[in-house]
Amino acid sequence: MNDLPTAPVLRVEGLHVYYGNFHAVRDVSFEVKPGEIFGFLGPNGAGKTSTLSAIEGLLKPRSGNISVAGYDVRQQSLHARANMGIQLQATSFQPELTITEIIRLYAGIYGVEMSNERLAALLQEINLRDAGTKRFSQLSGGQQQRVSLLISTIHDPRLVLLDEPTTGLDPQSRRQLWERIEAIREKGHGVLLTTHSMEEAEAVCDRIAIIDHGRVVAIDTPGELIERHRHDPEVISVSRKGRITLEDVFIGLTGREVRS
Amino acid sequence: MQRDIPRISSALNALLRADFTAQWRNRRSVVLVLLVPVIILISWKGLVARMGGPFVLSICVTIGLTAIGLMGYTNTIARDRDKGIFQRLRVGPIPSWTIMVSRLTVQIFMIVLLTIAVFVVGFYVDKISLSPTGYLFGFVMALAGGTVYLGLGQMIVGLIKHPETVNAVTRLVYFLFIMVGMLGELGAMGNEVQQAVIWSPFGTVKRIVSDSLQPGHWTGDSGMALMATAGYAIVFSVLGIKWFKWNTK
Repeated sequence: MNDLPTAPVLRVEGLHVYYGNFHAVRDVSFEVKPGEIFGFLGPNGAGKTSTLSAIEGLLKPRSGNISVAGYDVRQQSLHARANMGIQLQATSFQPELTITEIIRLYAGIYGVEMSNERLAALLQEINLRDAGTKRFSQLSGGQQQRVSLLISTIHDPRLVLLDEPTTGLDPQSRRQLWERIEAIREKGHGVLLTTHSMEEAEAVCDRIAIIDHGRVVAIDTPGELIERHRHDPEVISVSRKGRITLEDVFIGLTGREVRS
Repeated sequence: MQRDIPRISSALNALLRADFTAQWRNRRSVVLVLLVPVIILISWKGLVARMGGPFVLSICVTIGLTAIGLMGYTNTIARDRDKGIFQRLRVGPIPSWTIMVSRLTVQIFMIVLLTIAVFVVGFYVDKISLSPTGYLFGFVMALAGGTVYLGLGQMIVGLIKHPETVNAVTRLVYFLFIMVGMLGELGAMGNEVQQAVIWSPFGTVKRIVSDSLQPGHWTGDSGMALMATAGYAIVFSVLGIKWFKWNTK
């Protein structure tokens, strides 16, 4: 591959996804660069998960191109997946396995050598040194997310996909996870993060795409998005505290109605 | 730096280790799967003289195969699919077939374990002794018969999404197979049912196992039963694979 280090780690071009006759994703295009945290925001049913599933290779798009680290997700799916780390929205592991066994399983799947010392160091790194013999279900929500994130990055992937990783976490755990996500960026990996938390998007994302009804309606840095839309009547009308926030811009662009 | 695709052997080793560990942690269900045929074998001690050792052994092996395919394999697949465990594995750089090969290897191991348990208990408790060829041929036919029930389980899990419904259906099918199979074959439910049972998945599997245990008794009808068994296995497996969805959403 003749991929330069600055080339996007993820490139999505003209993506269309259908469920039967329902057009779920319409001509979506964006890129994630190395060392960038890219937020993918949208109301429920907007097309976030469908886009993510297409990138993960779990769903076959009707048309469009997706490449990860230069590999076409459809034509070179295993190469693309080898360069991707994924934390699914509802991560589940075999309930009979301990944390150590789960880590060893995924290390094997990604072809990573895992000595006892390395395993202990990894558990230490996520403050779970004594939890190796526990089952995944015995961990708290924050601990589960740390294990999931560790497994997503166990093979040092160029792109990390995080699907609502902080949902249900307390503020301390959430802050800690943000730091871990930022550490992934510091290593030069690209991160695609979906979240419903505007605070999170503003705090950690370098750029954001807002998707609604299957279309990307805006892409920019959080600051630029706020600046560009601060005078929109729809945005001003939903503003609550006299200052325009990313949440105001999001609701202004995607509407007030609650999605199922 | 770009990462290469890991070797399939490395992934398959990791999957097998995890699946065997999960099976080991489910020792209670393993014991239950083995216990039913062994209890029947012990309680039918009196029938050995009347019906013959191979007949009793083949009934017990067939019941065990039904339990492995329907209760063990199917319910685990339904549960893991519902929990999203397969989706998590499938986003890794491995072909999806490796996940199923690993799962099926565990079930083949279970079939071997079951067959050994039935042969050993049959030998020590019921004094049923076979020729080495009979034991060997019996093993092979038990594996062939096991594919029918694994295929049937695959078909059920392909047709039904909800794990609790899968659980209920497999228990019902298991019960029907055992009751109708055992009673029907003995003629307790009339001639028509007896004929139907003989050519049912239960009857053909029982027949090939029974006849293989005494190779001298292998006839053209045994060959027909083997063909029917292969047919059932192929039809169930093809439909099961065709209908199977990796997630329930």
